[in-house]
Formats: sequence, C-alpha cells, structure tokens
Amino acid sequence: MFEGKFYNGHTSQGMPAAIHLAAHGIIISYQAGEESGTVFWELAGIEQSEFNDATTLLRYGGYPQQQIAVFEQDFMQALQRHYPEAAFLKSRYRAWLRTGLAGMVVAGGLLLLLAVTVFFWGVPALADQAAAHFPEDFERRLGEELHTTLLQEYEIDSAKTAALKAYLNALQVQADFPIEVTVVKEQEVNAFAVPGGFVVVHEGILKEMQGHEELAALLGHEIGHVQLRHSTKAIARSLSYYMLFSLLLGDISGVAAVIVDNAAAFKDLEYSRSAEQDADRAGLELLLSNKLNPAGMLHLMERLQAQEGDEMEALEFMSTHPSTQNRIVEIRQQIKETSYTIAPNPALEAAWKKLKQRE
Amino acid sequence: MPEPTLAFKGKGAELFSIQIVNIALMVVTLGLYYPWAKAKKLQYLYRKLELAGSPFTFHGTGQEMFRGFLKGLGILAMLYGIWFLGIMSQEPAVMGICTLVFVAGLGVLIPVAMHGMMRYRLARTSWRGIHMGYRGTASDLLQVYFLNLFLTVVTFGLYGSWLTVNLRKEIIGNIRFGNARFEYLGEGSALFWLHLKGFLLTIVTCGVYAFWYTKDLLAFYIDNILVEQEGAYSRLQSHVTGWDYMKLTVVNMLLLVCTFGLGYAWVVTRTLTLVVSKSTIEGPFNPDRLLQTEKEYRDATYEDIADMMDIGLV
Repeated sequence: MFEGKFYNGHTSQGMPAAIHLAAHGIIISYQAGEESGTVFWELAGIEQSEFNDATTLLRYGGYPQQQIAVFEQDFMQALQRHYPEAAFLKSRYRAWLRTGLAGMVVAGGLLLLLAVTVFFWGVPALADQAAAHFPEDFERRLGEELHTTLLQEYEIDSAKTAALKAYLNALQVQADFPIEVTVVKEQEVNAFAVPGGFVVVHEGILKEMQGHEELAALLGHEIGHVQLRHSTKAIARSLSYYMLFSLLLGDISGVAAVIVDNAAAFKDLEYSRSAEQDADRAGLELLLSNKLNPAGMLHLMERLQAQEGDEMEALEFMSTHPSTQNRIVEIRQQIKETSYTIAPNPALEAAWKKLKQRE
Repeated sequence: MPEPTLAFKGKGAELFSIQIVNIALMVVTLGLYYPWAKAKKLQYLYRKLELAGSPFTFHGTGQEMFRGFLKGLGILAMLYGIWFLGIMSQEPAVMGICTLVFVAGLGVLIPVAMHGMMRYRLARTSWRGIHMGYRGTASDLLQVYFLNLFLTVVTFGLYGSWLTVNLRKEIIGNIRFGNARFEYLGEGSALFWLHLKGFLLTIVTCGVYAFWYTKDLLAFYIDNILVEQEGAYSRLQSHVTGWDYMKLTVVNMLLLVCTFGLGYAWVVTRTLTLVVSKSTIEGPFNPDRLLQTEKEYRDATYEDIADMMDIGLV
C-alpha cells in the first residue's frame, strides 16, 4: 500500500489516495473533502512519464488522462517487483542508464564507429548513386547554369575558342553529352570540366603545350571527368554533407542556396585520387582510339609538374589529390601494358596549328 | 495556501547522457532520428520543470513529430522545387514569378508555422493532467505579423520592437492553461527605449552593460505576463539580477570553450535553473483550481517547420 496524489483529469486538485498494487492492475482509492471513490487501472492502459525521479508519475486511459504522483522512493521498485512484464515499466532510457560506465563507453564507441562509417563511406556512396542516376537532361541544365555563372568571372577568348572547337570536331569523342569547349584568358596552367559536357581551358595551359597530343590528352581527361560524372558526384556529396549537417543543427533553409551559390566554390572541388586517375585513363583511351601518341598524356603531366614545383610532392599522403608524379608512374605503367598503333592525323594537326597561330 | 513556486530540477549530466545518444543516433540515421531526439529532450526538460511541486509532462512523441517532419519537409521541398524550376527555366519572367511564389510562400509559412507550433506544443503539454492550449487562429496571427512586418520594413527596422511585442500579445493572449488564460502587457514603446538604452550603455561601458541589458529584456518578457484565473489576475516576476546573468554567461562560455561544446547540456540546465527558480507568480493564482478545458490535438506538421526555419518559442 502506497500513498500518493490522484488527479482525475478534470481538475488540478490533487486528491490524497491510497494506492494498492493488485495482480492485474492498480487500485486507487481517493478522498478529498466529501469527494471520494475508487478507480481500477488495468496494466495495459498505464503509461509512465519518462525520466521519473524520486517522484513517480503514472498516467492512465484516453484523453484527458488520469494521473497519480507517488513521492515514495520504493514505489518504483515495488512496481517492478509486482509487474516485471508490464510494458509501461520498460524504459529504454532507464535501461541505458543502468548499463553503467563501461557499457556506455562501449556503446558510445560502437555508435561513433558506426557514425564514422556512415559519414565517410555511407554518405559518399549514397551521393554517388544518386548522381549516377541523375537524368541526363537535368544534369545538362544544371551544368549550363553553373557554366554560365562561372564564365562571368572570366574573359572569353573567342578566336581561340573557335580554333579549339575545330580541333575537338576533328577528334573522335564518345560522350553522353555534346561537348562544349571554351578558352578563357587566364594564365594559370589549368583546365576544368563542368557537368553536362562543358570544358573550360585556360589560355595558360595552351601556351605551355608543345604538341597537339597533349591537347588531346587534356580534352580526354576533362571529358573523362564529365563522362564519369565526377563533378556531379562531388556536388551530390557536398550537398549531402550540407543536408546532414543542417538536419543535425535543425536548419534546412539554406540547402537550395548551396546549389546556386556553389558555382563559385565549384572550381575548388577536389576530385578523389581514384577519380583523377580514372580521368587520366579516359584521356589515354581517347589518345589511343584516335591513334595518337600516348606519350602526349605524359607530356601533359610534365607541364603540370613543372608548374607545381617540387614542394607539393611531400604532401601526397595528406592530400586527396594524387601527386602528379604518382599519376605519371601510373600512366607509364598503363602505356607499357597496352598495344597501340600511331597514325598521323592531318586534320588534327592543321587545327592545332591554327590554334597555335592565334597566340 | 503556500505561494505556488516554480522550479527546474534538471541536471546537466542527465541531459548530457540523453543528448549524446540523440546525436549519435541522428548521425547514424542521417538525421531521420531528429523528431525522436527532440521528443526525448522535451520530455526531459518538461518533466524537470515544476510548478507547486508537480512536474509538467510533454506528451508529444517521436512518431507524431516524424509525421509532422515529413509533412513539413514536403511543404518546404515544394517551395524550393518551384524556385529551382524557375531558375532552371532560364526565362526571366518564369524565374521572377517562381522566385516571387517562393519568397511569398516562405513569408506566409513563418506565421503559419508559429501558429501550428504553438497549437501542437501547448496541446501536448500538461500539468497534473490539465492540458495547455492555444486558441488563436492562423489568420489573426498572419494579420498581426504582416501588418507589423510591413511597418517594420517601411521604418527601416525601427518598428521592430512593436513587431515583437504585438506578436507576443497575440500569441500569449491566446494561451490557455486549463481555465486560466494568459495576457501580455508589455508595450512596444517600452521595449524600444529598453533597446535604445541598452545599446547606448553597452557601447559606453565597453560591453559590460550587456548583462544588465539582457536582464532587462528577460524581465520585460517575463514580468509582463499576466495570468487570469476566475476573474482574478496574477503576474509573473523575474528576480534575475545583472550579476546573476553575468555569472551565468561567463561560466557558460567557459563551459562551452573548455569542453569544446560538449558542455552544452550543462549550459541549458544552468540557464533554465536560474531563470525558472528566480521567477515567481505574484497574486492569487491557485494551482489547485485549474479545470480541464482544452480538446486533444496531435498534428505536429508545423512543429518541425518552425525548427527548420529557426523560429524559437516565444
């Protein structure tokens, strides 16, 4: 027999009550002034307030619920003794607290491990899947949008762009998207691909090139990024991380802004090691299918290497970007393993000459 | 009849053990656990908040809020979808219309979400079995919101104090606690001067006055809340001093910095303990004479939209 307060769900007046734990439920006899009565609570209808402490709160029935509050410490133990199987006594939170420090540390460690796995493996894998299944026309339109925004920052060299287009036309390319190339007046030795078939080439890298095979290699590499959906995947990844964080922080209002505002940050997207090497392979394949000298790929790498200097090499382990030296080794290996034929291609050479004349 | 007292009995360590599980589960489920995490947190905080020795109860469940979460996500996704389609169309006219629809939609969503959140949150709050409730209508709140927002915009923000106060009047005025009802007495002009004074003195004192400024704001929000019960009025009163607030803030900052943010649970419990335990109810309010008046209501759609849009509980 325990003493507590009974609340009938109609008034906040607590009525002193005697609480008896019977076999199939709780019997509550209350009395306040002239009002008195007895109610029987079936076990199935009882709910426990989560996070009970010295005071045990129990509720019963449909809306508005009846309630009892018992201030005695051993009431909870008595409940557990009487109704070991009762659903209302099962609290995952209480069970969690009972696991003790060792249990918590183990569980916490496991959860952390799981979280890390999800974070570093699950999210990218999901994002890549999503990106791979983007409809092509959607990807093209997304690319158009990004491409237009990006080009606003540059000055386009229309003469060289026309010449580069002519070169591309003479090249045999297999891609899901129509490839559109642009040359911009920028001296940095660089080029990048935008989803949906857009390739932007800096004037600087064209100047450095000594042979047209290098240009074919570069185009092949960038088209490889496009074809393998690398930047679409990178966008999907950064977007999913953003969504995850904003969900955790409870604010998703900025998600759309990311897609649109990301144009500026887009250039800095880093491809993974394997993405970069896959694109190299695609570039090499383009050279081979056009019967061009695969050494063009190596020369292109050497230009990049000369530009970078040596200081980058030491950072290989820290960077997700494979060092150019590693890429060169990889390409050499691949060239060695393939058999190929080289044939002169007058159309390409003519287009290359025209491009070089514009300098 | 002893004075009805308010107390907060929550402990940082307990809240921490809840939050750490919440965060881990949210990361693992890519955030889908969020509604359950929120339910747990609210259940804990309400259970440890006491009036006259009896705790409050939060009846909301993760399931209810998850349903609301999905609906809320749907509404937001639709709005963003319209905007996105507009941008993709690359036609200036379509782009303009879609952007307009998007901005207007978000604008309407703010007061609608406030209204929905108040309805859900209060209907799922009870004390000694007596449920709270929100009687306001979305259209009234929309009117108050847009009229005051318009005035705030045309006065370049100067009217902001009135916007805040008028929203509080509308919202708090519609809160029921069984047969007791609330009212908000503050005036926009008072808040405006308070802001002006606080702003100037904070600059003059190189920031030290900020604690007293915040204390004044807290007092302005709490002291102006009136409770009417059977025709008799009582008032809430905050006794937090500038010193209290300074100690609270400085220690909270240290807690956050020294634990790299892990101490957040303690920051929450410390703050609630101070604010609640230093608030009193002045007047004849009788906690034993509340009667059940509110109907059941379980729709949590806007509960999460309010969260997503970062609308705090008033």
